[in-house]
Amino acid sequence: MAAHEILAATNAVVTLDVALPGTVWPWFVTMNMWAKSIGTGVIFMLFILMRMYPESVKNLRLPTAITAFVFINIFLLFTLADLHQPFRMWHIFFYPHFTSSITVGAIMASVFLGLLTLLVFLAWKKQDETYDKVFLWTTILAIPVTLYTAALMAQCTARELWQMPTESAQMILAATVSGAAFMILLGGSKLTYEAKQTLGVVLGLSALMAFIIYMSEYVFGPMKAEEVAFTLEYIKGDGPYTVMFWLGQWMTYILPMVLIVLSRSSKSEAILKLAAILALVGLFMVKHVWLMIPQLLPMS
Amino acid sequence: MQLGFLVDLHLCMGCKGCEIACKVENEVPLSTWRLRVKYVDVGTFPETKRTFTPLRCNHCENAPCERICPVSALHYLDNGIVNIDKERCIGCAGCVMACPYGAIYIDPQTQTADKCTYCAHRIASSMMPACVVACPVQANIFGDLDDATSNISKYIQTNQGNIQVRKPEKGTNPHHYYVNGGNVTLNPLASERVDGHSLFNKITTLPVGGHH
Repeated sequence: MAAHEILAATNAVVTLDVALPGTVWPWFVTMNMWAKSIGTGVIFMLFILMRMYPESVKNLRLPTAITAFVFINIFLLFTLADLHQPFRMWHIFFYPHFTSSITVGAIMASVFLGLLTLLVFLAWKKQDETYDKVFLWTTILAIPVTLYTAALMAQCTARELWQMPTESAQMILAATVSGAAFMILLGGSKLTYEAKQTLGVVLGLSALMAFIIYMSEYVFGPMKAEEVAFTLEYIKGDGPYTVMFWLGQWMTYILPMVLIVLSRSSKSEAILKLAAILALVGLFMVKHVWLMIPQLLPMS
Repeated sequence: MQLGFLVDLHLCMGCKGCEIACKVENEVPLSTWRLRVKYVDVGTFPETKRTFTPLRCNHCENAPCERICPVSALHYLDNGIVNIDKERCIGCAGCVMACPYGAIYIDPQTQTADKCTYCAHRIASSMMPACVVACPVQANIFGDLDDATSNISKYIQTNQGNIQVRKPEKGTNPHHYYVNGGNVTLNPLASERVDGHSLFNKITTLPVGGHH
């Protein structure tokens, strides 16, 4: 039943409900997810490139490790800044509660950052053999690190829109989209054209899958759950996030897919870079909309 | 022991005495509420009526806030109360996002999460919660759900078939019950909310924390 039909049937109006908290998780959390996607995504991409084009990525070990290190630090910084009591952050490690994905995520992210620091050091010292051994474990750990936010969103019982396994798929795809996009830009003259084309394929296919999932939720989500129907009203019609939602979908998924096809047919690296930039900027909007709209729903 | 709450909505007259008693007892800061009474107007003039629904923490058996709290600031007491340790809370607001009842808020003074604790400090001294004492019509009934002779157990037995909880589909198993509740009173999506409109003021939302 559509939202307006329910309201018409009850003909009920809330005439007094004391002021409620506004947005609880602001854009800081969007930044958290966006930066983490890039930080883990470039690791995934280097892993693929090292196996497909080992000669081409020789000079990418250090830049990739530094990129991941910087973006994981941004992710952690904004996570810390979002706390209302940031100086109590240490409580997570000294009073851990392991049913919480925040606890598990914080511990994994800390270990991940340690491994990234080690990778930067090893790359700087040009100890490639040791680097590659550590890198394997870093790549494996990058998977749960990128997924933990999906688990956190799934634990938010109040926000019906954030369902598992949809969110975990979207988190991994966000990492592959942003990782491929960032690596296309980072590669510069270090990467061969074929390697960049491979990254373009990863970007395009990830964008396609993520777009299909969003559209599936957009169309079919309201048919299953009342709260999802109400939540998606905020991105339909003249909803407050309609423009941002569609702008994000076009910039992150639709346009990059088209541009990647064009770049392959015209063998243009410039078009590929444009697709990468659009995907990186658009991903922030996509994540932000999905973070905000469930928070607009009245809980009382 | 499993403490629980029951509100007979047929008795509640929306006086907000419970709200005020809670505020005073727990020193709840301005702009925040551990307990609040929602008014919903139903029907079309002249066939209209106003419903009143006190809303507070449901002290769920399967509490999402307790599960998501990274530092166990939200924890169960032996009597079933979901309590909060404000000294341990880091203010991540995970609990605010997890609670399907909107019962948790960030205290603007302490910058930590806060909510109804069924007046755990009064219970520890064998006193009733402040809202129960303040209610002039005894619409708030509080007691041990495990004790078949307690008032709340008797009330539930007497009103079987007319007992509701909020959002049962969430699987939280609330220990907060309503008698004579319905879709309009218990389902937040069944009533229209006109932005900026309220009986006494035009404030519908307030910023929390420092990010807004």
